Amino acid sequence: MEKMSYKEKFIQMNKEAKATWIATAIVFVFWWVSGFGIYAVAPEATILYMPAWFMVACFGTWFLTIGLVVYLTKKVFKDFDLNDDTEIEGGN
Amino acid sequence: MDVFMRIAPTVIFFVILLGMGFWIQKKSSDSRTANYSKDYYIGGRSLGGFVLAMTLVATYSSVSSFLSGPGVAWQRGFGWVYLASIQIVAAFIVLGVLGKKMAVIGRKVDAVTVVDVIRSRYNSNVLAIISAIVIIVFFTTSMLGQFIGGATLFSAATGWSYDASLMLFAAVVVLYTTVGGFKAVAITDTACAIIMMVGMGILAVIILGEGGGLSGVMATITEVSATARTTGEGVDMIAPTASGLVSVKSLIGFWFLVGIGTVGLPQTNVRCLSYRDTKAVHSAMIYGTIVVGAMMIGMHLLGVLARGVLFEVEGSTDTVISTLISGHMHPLLAGLTIIGPLAATMSTVSSLLISGSSAIVKDIYIYNKTTKNEAVDQKMVGKISLIVTAVMGIVTIIMAFEPPSIIIWINMFATGGLQIAFFWPLLLGMFWSKANGTGALFSVVGGLAVYCIATAQGISIGGFNNIIASTIIAFILFVIGSKVGKPAEEKVLRTFFPDKF
Repeated sequence: MEKMSYKEKFIQMNKEAKATWIATAIVFVFWWVSGFGIYAVAPEATILYMPAWFMVACFGTWFLTIGLVVYLTKKVFKDFDLNDDTEIEGGN
Repeated sequence: MDVFMRIAPTVIFFVILLGMGFWIQKKSSDSRTANYSKDYYIGGRSLGGFVLAMTLVATYSSVSSFLSGPGVAWQRGFGWVYLASIQIVAAFIVLGVLGKKMAVIGRKVDAVTVVDVIRSRYNSNVLAIISAIVIIVFFTTSMLGQFIGGATLFSAATGWSYDASLMLFAAVVVLYTTVGGFKAVAITDTACAIIMMVGMGILAVIILGEGGGLSGVMATITEVSATARTTGEGVDMIAPTASGLVSVKSLIGFWFLVGIGTVGLPQTNVRCLSYRDTKAVHSAMIYGTIVVGAMMIGMHLLGVLARGVLFEVEGSTDTVISTLISGHMHPLLAGLTIIGPLAATMSTVSSLLISGSSAIVKDIYIYNKTTKNEAVDQKMVGKISLIVTAVMGIVTIIMAFEPPSIIIWINMFATGGLQIAFFWPLLLGMFWSKANGTGALFSVVGGLAVYCIATAQGISIGGFNNIIASTIIAFILFVIGSKVGKPAEEKVLRTFFPDKF
């Protein structure tokens, strides 16, 4: 848990929100490109009997998303107190 | 005996859910005396990561994720699973973007509802009342849709009448939600999410077993698709666009409606006010993404694979899953599987009910009390909260016996309407310091008008789902309104944008 002022928390939260949008954009692009891309190149290809485009676009996107979320929460997001205790400190 | 086996597992599950509701009511009697609405409507901000993730996903996965969605997938194939998989992003975006800000600000301004947050950001009573009404109207119609879906399914799978099925499960969900409040909703949602996964697992075993394994099922599907490609009859289930039934434009629309736009759904984002600490929200993002992906890809994929077992269905494709459950399983297994979709229904209803009730009690009743400087008696709030929740639930059940067509019609606008009313006001309210009440009001009123009128007239603006055009228009109106209106007061800005000072 990091000690942050009310202001610092907001700077951090803006950073986290931005990182979440970037992760979403990556997922979005991967989903479109893998689905239609693989189908255009190899419509008949299969993985585990099922269409390859489907496996990569659905299961692949899912795994990618989990990976990105793990990265976000471990590397970008920070732990801090959700309560604002700065006023109490100021009063002392 | 047969009917008994089909119903016994459900009855046991219901008893467990009710037990949870009453147990939580008993356990939280102390914290409720201190601040009733904070405990009843938000669970005293105590949820841990796992429960937060499960309640988010269970609320979000409704009866349609278990019935109509897989049913359509049965007919259209992998393209429909592709479309459904967009929902993978639904769990982490809302928590990553709004999660912490709503939690920090919610604690600062003592917000219990999403409308509380909007009211304190924009200082606009008109906007708050509109938001509360939007919640009450669309939540009621959505609950009704869930009740109808759940009762139809239960009656199909067990042979009970529609009315008896409705009474049974609707009464249970209204009862445990009313007595247990938000905390009971969250805990029962977790139980529901787990049982949904169990039901999905059983379905998978049955489908693959009967269809001759994955290779057998896929052989059938490949044949159907090959016929469709050569003769033009039927659907190419292998193609992402499903013989034109899934268009690129509709996929774009869905990316908003079930993907990014879910940030604006008040029944999901109210959960940002309910969790304990930053660790909880971090782990909920991970668990939530795992479970929502498993559920959405899993259920819709099972719909496709069911094609290897069921070659034809009578009537609407909604019956695919219930036919599988009622006709292809040992009665006891059927009884166990049926809980999955019922749990999906109940976990959605409970969350809509508790938030709907909070809109009436907290956003309208208590607010009026405090503006008149009348003392708020916690005991009185307790009574009123219970009564409002119960009445709202009971009224919806009564309507579900003979659903008024107007309500079914209003329900068509529910998801989009909620998103337009809350997406920009929350997002811009939290991230754009120049956003003000005038902008939010313009945006909500204008956006809702465009969306509802266009959808009612059957027009789709630009060939897209109307959510796209309405969201763009709502954004433009927001910016215009914010330019002409008065900027937010400094006190508000210091709370919402301390980084600007």
